[in-house]
Amino acid sequence: MNLFGTRHPRFWKRKFTATSGSDVLFEAAPASGLDDLQVRLNQWSHVWAHENDSGTPTEAQRLVAKRLTDWMDRCFGQHVHQTLRGKGGQISLATTTPIFTAFLGRRATRELSRRVLQDI
Amino acid sequence: MPRLVRLIWSLLALHLTLGMMAYAHFLVTGTYAALGWYFSVLGTFFFLVMTATECCLAIMCRSWFDSDEPMRLAWGMIACAALARLGGVLLRAVSDGHLPWGNWNQLSQPFGGLFVSLSQLGLVVGGPLSMAFLAAGLGRTLSIQRKFHLAGSLTHLDQALLFLVLAFSISQLAINLPLMGNHPSFGTMLLWLSDPLLSLLLVEAILVRRSVIRMGQGLVAKCWGMFVLAIVITSAGDAAIWASNHNLLSESVTALSWYIWFIASAAFASAPAYQLAAVSLTRQSPMELVEKR
Repeated sequence: MNLFGTRHPRFWKRKFTATSGSDVLFEAAPASGLDDLQVRLNQWSHVWAHENDSGTPTEAQRLVAKRLTDWMDRCFGQHVHQTLRGKGGQISLATTTPIFTAFLGRRATRELSRRVLQDI
Repeated sequence: MPRLVRLIWSLLALHLTLGMMAYAHFLVTGTYAALGWYFSVLGTFFFLVMTATECCLAIMCRSWFDSDEPMRLAWGMIACAALARLGGVLLRAVSDGHLPWGNWNQLSQPFGGLFVSLSQLGLVVGGPLSMAFLAAGLGRTLSIQRKFHLAGSLTHLDQALLFLVLAFSISQLAINLPLMGNHPSFGTMLLWLSDPLLSLLLVEAILVRRSVIRMGQGLVAKCWGMFVLAIVITSAGDAAIWASNHNLLSESVTALSWYIWFIASAAFASAPAYQLAAVSLTRQSPMELVEKR
């Protein structure tokens, strides 16, 4: 798809015909696939927000927090994560993404999150 | 230190070394020949290189933010400030005929109207206009820093410095306002805004410095720290001009004070270089990050 074409006014004037529901076939996903997806989403949620029912951080959470601390030290300084911790928050993607986005931009933060989650 | 920042400060060191040779020549011979050539040709060229670098880097910093992100406006303002400074240097160089590649003295003639001369227009563009853009950009940044509880409270020293700055601005206004009766040009009146705007920038610089202290020694902190350094040096240069105009400085000290503007220019150029270094850090793998520490 030509992405630049979407900026042309003619693109928005174009009428798209609605697809009738009978033409589309939705196949039921296998239960094992859904379970796998649920596990992955839960894992992602734990890594993202550092929320864990057991209270002790998992290895992935520890690694993410360590990497984020390294990046925060290099980007902002050694005192910034203390300010975040001071607010009662753990170092996690959820707590650090706003400050990274504000000062480095959304694209750079997306790139950084990708690097933080590398091999996890 | 990021490579680009190192390059900027190496260039400054080389330039100042040449400048010190010219200064030594001035001290020994008592003539301004070498010193005049250094400031008019090499100095102008250095300012052009530094302001152009700052402008390009600030535009690159701005491009990293999407249109709905608040820091895009801040970096846009900072890029405008750098562009105004570049325009000011160019206008003054053209007007004074100090361009290394030719003499444009015919443009230095008074052209009446709003501005007395092209040089005055350059002073306004590179001075109050640039300061107004920078003040807007720093104001925006401060509001964002406050959202993240990075803005610290002012110490007694900060408050004393603020009081001094405000007192100086008010005294300068008190000196300039009675001159309104002499029907000064529009450009002259705009130049009177330099001191209040510089005071505003100093106030912002003090607040930014507080937040930098709360951050630490990271690249983003250094970026804003460089703006603080540049503003403080600009103020020191301004104070040196004031002292020189009131015959408070000897001839040799006055000549030495001119070098301060090169340091301010390098500090201004280093600020967006630090920001870009912080952005490029996000493209490094975690292993690379650990290795570089």
